[in-house]
Amino acid sequence: MPPLVETRGLTKVYRADGVATPALRGVDLAVARGEFVSIMGPSGCGKSTLLYLLGLLDTPTEGTVVLAGTDTRGLADGGRTRMRREHIGFVFQRFNLLGAISAEENVALALKLRGRPVGDAPREMLAAVGLEEKRRRRPNALSIGEQQRVAIARALVTRPAVLLADEPTGNLDSEASEKVLDLIGGFHRELGQTIVLITHNEQVAARADRLVRMRDGRLVTG
Amino acid sequence: MLPLANILTRKVRTAITAMAVGVGVALFLVLVGLTSMLREIADRTANVDAHIMVTPSSVQVLMGGGLPADSTEAKLRQIPGVVNVVPVLCWPVRMAGRNQNVYGIRPSDWPHFARGEGRILDGRPVLSGYEMVIDSRLAAAGGYAVGQTVDAWGRKFQVVGIVREGVAGRVFVPIDTLNECQEYTARRATFFYVQADGPASIGPIREAVADQLKLNAFTLAEYYNVLMQTFADMPLVIGAVVFVAGFVCFLVVLLTVYTMVLERTREIGILRGIGASRLQVFGLVMAEAGLISAGGIVAGFLMTWGARALILDLQPLWTIDIPPVRFLYAAALAVVGTFLGALHPALRAARQDPVESLRYE
Repeated sequence: MPPLVETRGLTKVYRADGVATPALRGVDLAVARGEFVSIMGPSGCGKSTLLYLLGLLDTPTEGTVVLAGTDTRGLADGGRTRMRREHIGFVFQRFNLLGAISAEENVALALKLRGRPVGDAPREMLAAVGLEEKRRRRPNALSIGEQQRVAIARALVTRPAVLLADEPTGNLDSEASEKVLDLIGGFHRELGQTIVLITHNEQVAARADRLVRMRDGRLVTG
Repeated sequence: MLPLANILTRKVRTAITAMAVGVGVALFLVLVGLTSMLREIADRTANVDAHIMVTPSSVQVLMGGGLPADSTEAKLRQIPGVVNVVPVLCWPVRMAGRNQNVYGIRPSDWPHFARGEGRILDGRPVLSGYEMVIDSRLAAAGGYAVGQTVDAWGRKFQVVGIVREGVAGRVFVPIDTLNECQEYTARRATFFYVQADGPASIGPIREAVADQLKLNAFTLAEYYNVLMQTFADMPLVIGAVVFVAGFVCFLVVLLTVYTMVLERTREIGILRGIGASRLQVFGLVMAEAGLISAGGIVAGFLMTWGARALILDLQPLWTIDIPPVRFLYAAALAVVGTFLGALHPALRAARQDPVESLRYE
């Protein structure tokens, strides 16, 4: 079976004021459907850059991302947006909820942006992360752990093929981290959710089926 | 949902921006509405049962006794096609806080001014002596009623009638009385209304007036145009004020929406991350601007209503006509101004790099 997500010679070089800074140097990575992969590495090793490229938020300098059998090289912004909508769910380190609207509206927004009917899905998804009672609260009325659970609900309500999590426990205390990791692990085990998780924490990385290490823009294990 | 929530997170700024749009809308409606005052004056002056106005050849303002009344009338009546001649002596008097152009007319000529049934709302037309008829608008503005005494030119006039507004002057007195008040020894007139026996006679009568009497002769339609031409620059001045107001509104909207976009750089990255297209981000920003515009339009209509009521309370004889279609124009103007103001920031938001946006602190 072909991998759900595959990178081939993925290279990213940032240029500023005539100075080229390589962030990724030819990364080859394959993630199978239903797999839970952790990517670990020190700060600045290119983890987040890799995640943004996997999520088609950015374009590589060289190489390509093949997502669900589609080579995304050469896709224009509209095409990448469509692929992202169709296949990707994002969870960010800083939760990144919209502060002006409630938890339920944040979750519903992901469906609305895709033009899908909303129905009871946001409420059910918030129930699945244990926040049904607090669904009408705005993010600033929730604890940071709860905010991250809302972010997970928002990422998964669209039933994405792959969940990309960028240091999802990076801003959480140990208790909230446990809850979030249990939640992510539960979706993986029970629903077969494909997950790519970035972390610099060994214990968090150990939750995954496979651990990939990065250094200086390259994969060193995995 | 999201656009409304976003603009409500900054209520004061949203309110100020909407007010700025509203001021533009209200300025447009009130200032353009004020130009109807000029039209109302021109309409009244030309709305007399006659075909031609005969005036002195070199007089711009119709005031004072520039012409001998009886001899000029006699000469006018000798012109073939002339059916009737109505001499008018105009003189100003202070009433209801403003100078009013009093029409001195022969009581027998009243039917030329009483167009339409029931123009007399109360009392009767002037007959003789120190009698005065005033129109309903001036009566309301100055609190005048039939039987009341009014001081004018050192005499006491009695109000004998209230007439419906809309024909010639707001105040009528007998022409002989007005001549006496101005101490003319022989009867004088400011101008004459002339009635022709048909449209075909109007041209020859005008030629005869010009050739034989060396006076100006206008049809009432021409006189209307002459009056409107006198104020031709006024709409330009008002247009300039409206343009400046509109431009200021545009700048306020531009600045507000630009600030909104800058403030929400990270949020735009989030939206792109969770699946928003560039078009959706653009639409979101424009929807927020549209909501501000809608609020501004409503505020502008309310300000217009308030400003009009206030102006007419302070200046009851002014006219501010605002036909319903002009509200649509004002709304369209606000929408266009807001659209133009929001366009650049919305495009900037749509073009933002999602990764850069997500890294924005």
